[in-house]
Amino acid sequence: MIDGLKKEIEGVRRSFLNEIAQIQSPEKLAALKERFLSRKKGIVSQQLLKLRDCAAAEKPVAGQLINQLKMFIETELARIEEKIGARRGTQEQWSDCSLPASDLPIGRFHLIAEIQRQIEDIFLNLGYEIASGPEVELEEYNFTALNIPEYHPARDEQDTFFIEGFANMVLRTQTSPMQIRYMLDHQPPLKIISPGKVCRKDDPDATHTPVFHQVEGLLVDQGIHFSHLKGTLEVFCRSFFGPDVNLRFRPGYFPFTEPSAEVDISCFMCSPRQGIPPAGTSAADAASRVQSDCKVCKGSGWLEILGSGMVHPQVLLNCHIDPEIYSGFAFGMGIERVAMIKLGVPDLRMLYENDLRLLGQFG
Amino acid sequence: MRINIDYLRKFISFEQDTKALQDLLTVSGLEVAEVMTVEGQTVFEIEITPNRPDWLSHYGVAREIAAANGQARFLPLMVDGIALVGGEKRFAIAIEDASDCWRYSGAIVRDVRVGESDPAVQKLLISLGLRPINNIVDVSNLVMMTCGQPLHIFDLGQLQGEQIRVRRAKKNEKIRLLDEREVALNEDFLLIADASRPLALAGIMGGLESGISPRTRHIFIESACFNPLVIRRASRLLGFKTDASYRFERGMDVEATIPALKMALLLLGQTQPPSYFQDVYPRPLPPTVVPLDKDYPSRLTGINIEPETSSAILQRLGFQLQDQGSRWQVQVPSHRVDVSCKQDLVEEIIRIHGYGHLQAQMPLSTNPFLRIDREREIVQRLKNQLAASGFNEVINYVFQSPEENALYDPQLPPLALKNPLGKDFSVMKNSLLAGMLKNTAFNANQYWERIAIFEIGNVFGQHEGRILEEKKLAISAYGLKQKKDWRSREEAFDFSYFKSLLAMLGRLMRLDFAFKKQAHPAYIDTCSFAIEIAGRPCARLGEVAPEFCRYYKLERPVFAAEIDLQALVAAVGEKRFSGTNRFPAVRRDFTFLMAKTVSYEELRSCLERLQPEVLESFELTDVFQGPSVPADKVSFSMGFTYRAQDRTLTGDEVNAIHLEFTAKMVEQMHLIQR
Repeated sequence: MIDGLKKEIEGVRRSFLNEIAQIQSPEKLAALKERFLSRKKGIVSQQLLKLRDCAAAEKPVAGQLINQLKMFIETELARIEEKIGARRGTQEQWSDCSLPASDLPIGRFHLIAEIQRQIEDIFLNLGYEIASGPEVELEEYNFTALNIPEYHPARDEQDTFFIEGFANMVLRTQTSPMQIRYMLDHQPPLKIISPGKVCRKDDPDATHTPVFHQVEGLLVDQGIHFSHLKGTLEVFCRSFFGPDVNLRFRPGYFPFTEPSAEVDISCFMCSPRQGIPPAGTSAADAASRVQSDCKVCKGSGWLEILGSGMVHPQVLLNCHIDPEIYSGFAFGMGIERVAMIKLGVPDLRMLYENDLRLLGQFG
Repeated sequence: MRINIDYLRKFISFEQDTKALQDLLTVSGLEVAEVMTVEGQTVFEIEITPNRPDWLSHYGVAREIAAANGQARFLPLMVDGIALVGGEKRFAIAIEDASDCWRYSGAIVRDVRVGESDPAVQKLLISLGLRPINNIVDVSNLVMMTCGQPLHIFDLGQLQGEQIRVRRAKKNEKIRLLDEREVALNEDFLLIADASRPLALAGIMGGLESGISPRTRHIFIESACFNPLVIRRASRLLGFKTDASYRFERGMDVEATIPALKMALLLLGQTQPPSYFQDVYPRPLPPTVVPLDKDYPSRLTGINIEPETSSAILQRLGFQLQDQGSRWQVQVPSHRVDVSCKQDLVEEIIRIHGYGHLQAQMPLSTNPFLRIDREREIVQRLKNQLAASGFNEVINYVFQSPEENALYDPQLPPLALKNPLGKDFSVMKNSLLAGMLKNTAFNANQYWERIAIFEIGNVFGQHEGRILEEKKLAISAYGLKQKKDWRSREEAFDFSYFKSLLAMLGRLMRLDFAFKKQAHPAYIDTCSFAIEIAGRPCARLGEVAPEFCRYYKLERPVFAAEIDLQALVAAVGEKRFSGTNRFPAVRRDFTFLMAKTVSYEELRSCLERLQPEVLESFELTDVFQGPSVPADKVSFSMGFTYRAQDRTLTGDEVNAIHLEFTAKMVEQMHLIQR
């Protein structure tokens, strides 16, 4: 009995394969499906009817054989259906590919964190290491070791938060104390940046928030000079703001650097080539292209970006590094300020409201 | 500080127009912040760095222009014509401690008439931002604005006894100042006193009683140099500054007292020597001498600067050079209190030579090796995953209100600020949650429906006199996980999603996160968990407690977690290649009823205990409660995957193992097989 069934099933299988091989249209495929799989008159159903005649012992095997046939036919039909596109366009499978896409949720990085990462990446590529330190800092490291003794007028420029119950601790007003921490732990050559949060007791306004972010850089080795500082900052500024920007070093004052320099970049919006006169023109010509109504530089042609200088010998001495053998440079910049300039953020307070509509514009 | 350009031209001639002068000063380090027209005159507002008190006058600026323009000298007011002799013995001047007051010079002028100053002087003072008071006081201000030296002028009639004393105040001593405020003094304050009482707070402000009044007939002019630290400390204690204290605390020229005195006499119309003059200078300060190698300016700047260039610039700035072959001995002029080392001298040289001459060069220095910042890499990986899951990064302040700290955990002793911006910002955060709830509320008020955020920041506390500072990653979710649209149902965030998110971060780091129920004040008791890695706590998560949410007027549940990044980073290990199992896996399902009083966690730990060696993993595929399930039970369906390390398992083998395993489960957990 089983052997006969086996032969019969093989016959059905072959005839199905023959027929399906010739089918081109969805209509013919539907007819084929009807003929083989219809509940009542389908060829497979007809086979199932034969189970009644089987001996009880043979029923499971026979049933399995017929089921295998059914699954084979279903699978093949589905495969061909898909191939000739018979599934599309049928009444019960309506779809419209022009329906709008859903808003799948996306998340973004905070603008400040993203700018910080961009700055870090440039310096990592230049071979700097990232050094981070505590936000509650020893007053010694934040000021005294950086050559800002008590009662120094420079302390006035950085209104400081003090910690209740810890007379020698402050919220760091700059990321510069990392210089001290790192130099106390490492011998030159050393080459680090230290990004992070800093706090100054400023009432919030459009350009000040009591908490903000800085990136500090430090390089100490033998034979380091002021022109190295300029080269490094030029590479950084051109990488970050655009290959055309030019740098202007101005004398400045930081107690922990000597000589010190304020660094301006030419306004990348209206006059990036300021200060580098193209052949055949004068510096005055270049300056004349500064737009007096430029919203970025307010007509000055220059944007103040960085504070920098050669590490003060006293600071090296405070960290047990001999200033007669080693020299170094340091620089620092405010991330919010850089963000303000590069991206046109009008009011720094907005960055700390964490309005998702605003954050959604960046990062 | 303000500089009147017309007045400046009295001391120096220069060819620059206003714009060119502005640029010249800016590139020399005197940043011109604003150009104004006051009383028809051009006035610069100049920002002067704290190291250059010598610039706080028209002389100082003139000196700088002279050096920058290569002029040998500027033209000071002709004061040399006045001889200071004065034989009158009105009183002695005594400096109690020579380290408090380095020099004290004074002169008496008799028979003055107090009245208004000349209109031109008034106009000049107004242009410099000063209020004209009377012809006597105006002279002291004019001298200060001209040459920098602050003077103080006393009404001689108010000075009692035969002694002027420069001394520290005594405890409980008081003085009423010119601005009529009364100040209680102590030993930190330096006084100018007569025989019986304080006359002035040295270097800060005069006393009301000894001040110039319309009845004043004779005056005593003080021109002194005080220790900057003493003045600064007193000014800090008082909480205010004056034009005089601002200058003294930065350091004044000890040699300037006499010329300033002479200038005052000249401006008061005195052509004869004063009747009384004293100059007390107990310990004359030797000039500062700094050795400078002639090639050092080139070495420190990296550009070639000829020795002739260096010496010419230094001399133009008033330094005196003694040539010693390969080096100079450089004598620093007395007004340059900021110059003490060779680097200072190089700054002077390159400043005048021009910072524009610096050549961009890249240093060749490298670190001995590059330390990869693992924490940064791990944090970046977590951030990327969170962003990909639709979470937005926020950044908040590091301080908040004491209530916010207490809402997180009232037991933790807060780290408070001594001088906060206000009560709302008076303690350092003990958790990032409060800030994130605030951000959530802000955005909920903007009708934002899906508020999924994270923050990386430090939290603070104290323990046994030590400050605690830990870096955390906090995550929170509020509102809709999925907004309704034509193809998706609306779905709110729930705890199981949030737990899955945390578990995903654990898997991302290949860490085995164990969720342990643990009560915490910030979270609802029934939904508060600690996450442990190999028994060590590294995070906390749960549904935020309703009081905490209500504080920010948040009506829907907030799910939040806070991860200790240091613990997490420490747990992440380096992996080596470990191969993959190529034998086939066999899966068996099992559905059963379990009492509602038993938690899945108990079942899970039971399964781990009973786990046959070839059981690779198990998963919960369905949880069902319905009419077919008794009210005190829950139906669970689980899938079990079996796989051996060394062979293909046969069906019979697996069936036997599965049967034995599930029978033990049923027995130990009192399950009912379905």
